[in-house]
Amino acid sequence: MSSVLHLNVVTRVHGEGATEVRALRDVSFRASAGELVAVMGPSGSGKSTLLTLAGGLDAPTSGTVSVEGVDLATLGNGGRARMRRTSIGYVFQDFNLIPALTAVENVALPLELDGVRTRTARAAARTALDEVGIGDLADRFPDHMSGGQQQRVAIARAVVGDRRLILADEPTGALDSETGEDILRLLRVRCDAGAAGVLVTHEARHAAWADRVVFLRDGVVIDETGTDAAEGLLESGVTR
Amino acid sequence: MSRPGAGRVTSWRLALRIAAREALRARGRSVLVLVMIALPVLAVTAADVLIQTQSVSSVEGLDRRLGSAAAQVVVPAEGRPMIQAFDPYDGNTSDGRKQEPPAAADISAALGGARLVVERTGGVDVRTDKGYASADSVEVDLRDPVAAGLVDLTSGRLPQDAGEVVVNRALLDKGYAVADRLDIRGKDAPSPVIVGVAESPELRTYPYVAGPVGSLGVSAAYAGGPTWLAAGGPVSWETVKDLNAMGATVLSRAVIEDPPPASEVPAEIRSWSSGSDNAVIAAVALVVVMALLEVVLLAGPAFAVSARRQSRSLALMAASGGTPAQTRRVVLAGGVVLGGAAAVLGVILGIGAGWLLVPVVQRWSSTWFGPFDVPWPHLLGVAAFGLASAVLAAVVPAVIASRQDVVAVLAGRRADRPPSARSPIAGVLLIGGAVAMAVFGTTSGDTGAFLIAGAAILAVLGMLFIVPVVVIGVARLAGRLPLSPRYAARDAARHRTRTVPAVAAVAATVAGVVALGIAVTSDEAENRGTYTPTLAMGQAAVTGYGLKPAKWDEIEDAVRREVPDADVELVLAAAGRGSSVQITAPHHRGPLLETMTENFGSSILVAGAVPSVVPGVSAADRARADEVLARGGVVAFTDDRVDDETAVVRRGHERVTVPAAYVRFTAGSYPPLAAIVPPAVAERLGAETSTGALAVTGTDISATQQENLSEAISAVSRNAGFYVERGYQADQGTKIVQLVLAGLGAVLMLGGTLTATFLALSDARPDLATLSAVGASPRRRRGVAASYALVVGFVGAVLGAVVGFIPGLAITVPLTAPAYSDTGPFLDVPWLMILGLVVGLPLVTALIVGLSTRSRLPMVARLE
Repeated sequence: MSSVLHLNVVTRVHGEGATEVRALRDVSFRASAGELVAVMGPSGSGKSTLLTLAGGLDAPTSGTVSVEGVDLATLGNGGRARMRRTSIGYVFQDFNLIPALTAVENVALPLELDGVRTRTARAAARTALDEVGIGDLADRFPDHMSGGQQQRVAIARAVVGDRRLILADEPTGALDSETGEDILRLLRVRCDAGAAGVLVTHEARHAAWADRVVFLRDGVVIDETGTDAAEGLLESGVTR
Repeated sequence: MSRPGAGRVTSWRLALRIAAREALRARGRSVLVLVMIALPVLAVTAADVLIQTQSVSSVEGLDRRLGSAAAQVVVPAEGRPMIQAFDPYDGNTSDGRKQEPPAAADISAALGGARLVVERTGGVDVRTDKGYASADSVEVDLRDPVAAGLVDLTSGRLPQDAGEVVVNRALLDKGYAVADRLDIRGKDAPSPVIVGVAESPELRTYPYVAGPVGSLGVSAAYAGGPTWLAAGGPVSWETVKDLNAMGATVLSRAVIEDPPPASEVPAEIRSWSSGSDNAVIAAVALVVVMALLEVVLLAGPAFAVSARRQSRSLALMAASGGTPAQTRRVVLAGGVVLGGAAAVLGVILGIGAGWLLVPVVQRWSSTWFGPFDVPWPHLLGVAAFGLASAVLAAVVPAVIASRQDVVAVLAGRRADRPPSARSPIAGVLLIGGAVAMAVFGTTSGDTGAFLIAGAAILAVLGMLFIVPVVVIGVARLAGRLPLSPRYAARDAARHRTRTVPAVAAVAATVAGVVALGIAVTSDEAENRGTYTPTLAMGQAAVTGYGLKPAKWDEIEDAVRREVPDADVELVLAAAGRGSSVQITAPHHRGPLLETMTENFGSSILVAGAVPSVVPGVSAADRARADEVLARGGVVAFTDDRVDDETAVVRRGHERVTVPAAYVRFTAGSYPPLAAIVPPAVAERLGAETSTGALAVTGTDISATQQENLSEAISAVSRNAGFYVERGYQADQGTKIVQLVLAGLGAVLMLGGTLTATFLALSDARPDLATLSAVGASPRRRRGVAASYALVVGFVGAVLGAVVGFIPGLAITVPLTAPAYSDTGPFLDVPWLMILGLVVGLPLVTALIVGLSTRSRLPMVARLE
């Protein structure tokens, strides 16, 4: 199984001296195609830092982050941005749709940013919205949609253009439990279709949707469950 | 705290505390508002300080005019009783019959036995290398203690007798040095020797000479009446009035320094100074209102963004029991805090800037400034203006904040309410009112200009109500645009509290520039349209009147010396001595010409062909006229239709009938002569001929040559002048005004757009972070910023240009077609400038914004 995302002995330190915070310490982590990995841990354990590093929004203090075999550090800011347009999809707790754009425009955004012609991009976006079940709301603005609908738009935006890595940061945090389950089911479907998914959550029942669960505390992987646990433990053992 | 008054004070204290904290927290935005309000305050303060320093008040100028004397007494009207203002220079007039002028002894007695020193002020012409230069002069015994302060001796010594003078640096620059003899025109006695350099306390760059009585040959009559400086005790207003009755005016130190009540000034004099006060007040009020509006509009977006940033805390305040009034107060307090700080800062820095600028401006001025002067009452008003503009800018955001939907804010939705459907109707009504007022203004004479200016303000206010609808319309149309402009247009429409004032600020600026631009260009068109050439285009001539032939020879020498390449042709005129030559058409009634000037020394020229210098004759007419002159006929100019082929030429009892060409001057020229007769006819009538002008032809005359020749000719005679017809020359001042207008418009437009754009960018931080997360390249931020600037600049410029036409078109009527004139109205729209404003400037602004925006997108560790 090829790993779409690979964090190799990654450390991220925020600040200096007295205010230094080690958000992640020597963490190694893989996510493969067709696999949904849940990352769990209490507040401040480094879950979100892991996601921002995986998406190239932030750079590690040491160690390497590779997506589809490419070390993100070797790409410039522009290259990492291209990566996010073509390979990586983000889903946030607060949806983070752009209120000035309609649903279909929000979904078409990564394609348009990548230079795809508007008409083509919108067609692809409509298909993606159909896939998440809200094709009829395509021309609405986010302010006129429910939370669940907005999160579906966000997922459609994360997968549009056949992106193979989906990074979801507490995607159900702002939703009621039933809607939340629907959203997770959608993520599961995308992974079964061949994407690699990383789901950051602090709710154990959401982790049930995942193939594998990684536990973080104070920036260190303290436990791993699931099919590839042995490989993960082995790697973390090697680095100690 | 149950007392209502105390509650209000506490509530304001709380609001001010929150506002001050918020101002410190959002430093960038606070600095922006501070700069925007402090800058105009600073500029006005500095200008006011400069004006007050530059102007010399009666009290400040006393030593310049009196030296150390107690009073200056002038007998201006041969002894007629006088009435005067406290300072006779502010107004004085004779009031009664001529009587015996008071002698020095009488005046001295009236002043309680004061010692009198004769003073004669006036002007002299001093010889220079090129001709003569004028200089101000004063004759007084400079060594007398009473004259101390009249001049400021910088080197050499004061004159001791009538053979010595002191001059200022400006006169030395005309080609003199200390120990030279000063060559004064018309002075019979030997020329005085320059013994020192002394600056006039008033004149800086104008030549000035001072010496004892008799040294300069200034006659007492020329100096405006016998004048004395009085050394003695203080001269009271009662004494001044006594001397007025004797026929003298008095500048009294005691009266100026401690004036009696204003009612003491005779009513006749008092009315002199209050002539144009209303017009000035109206103009100042207009400028203040427009400036206030502009500053309010520029600062408005900053308060709108502040209020939005605070919206969560304000909603929490409301959720925990705060009233809408309290919410409003918090936002308004932001205006009070920033406006107050900006006002104080602006005034202090403005005084400093004025102090620094005084020596700089002094270099450009021809007179010496008074002492450094800080006009505190004015500055208090200027500071109040700054404070008021900030508070006004905060009003709309405050009202909106107090009405916000608490639930929506706490749920994180962040758009403005939909606009009222009534507001565009109000806007259209206001603009309609403005049009009506402007049209009325074009028909109502003197007050018209003020009505039109009022219409301008009304139109800008009306436009404010229309801007939201236009912004929303632009957003609707943006669906097909590429991502960045689409995002910018939609975001602008969603956040109208910050977009509308910014667009309106740009629009108000553009409206002002367009209106003034149309006015200035049309005024220029009127000047060009009503310009009458003195000579034919490209011709040059020396003209003069009453000059003896010897003087003309001297002038001709001067022309050959200064413009050696030129041909000099004599233009002969029929001399006015004895009976004059008259020409009539046999079958024509009434005069041939209604009006005429004599540009060439006489109304009748004597020549065998039409001299090339005569303007306003078409080529065909010229050929026809030359042909008739060659046949021995005359050319008569007319402004009527004359079909005759002959003319009767008379002088006294002599009379001949000869062939004639009747020529009309081309449109737009003013007849410079009545007729041209050939030498034979002049001879037959016995008319004398003399030189009327010298045509200088055959070469282009440079500006330097023109200046040198003019100076040389004025040395020969004061009644001769040299003129080169270069056609209509646009006033340099007009061009400068246009440039300043365009520059000011550009700066204000850039300011308004930049403010709105950077506030929008800071407001759009979460959106930009999202864009980054879904893969926007760093350049995208620049694209969004430039698009935002383009939307604000373009919408504002188009609206402003449309609105600016209302007062712009209207003002051309009173400006170029005044009631008493029969020309105009002239209308010339500066399309190029308007195109530049509407298309060019928004693009340039967008480019500047795009280039100056940080390209880094927000890379937040945890996206909120």
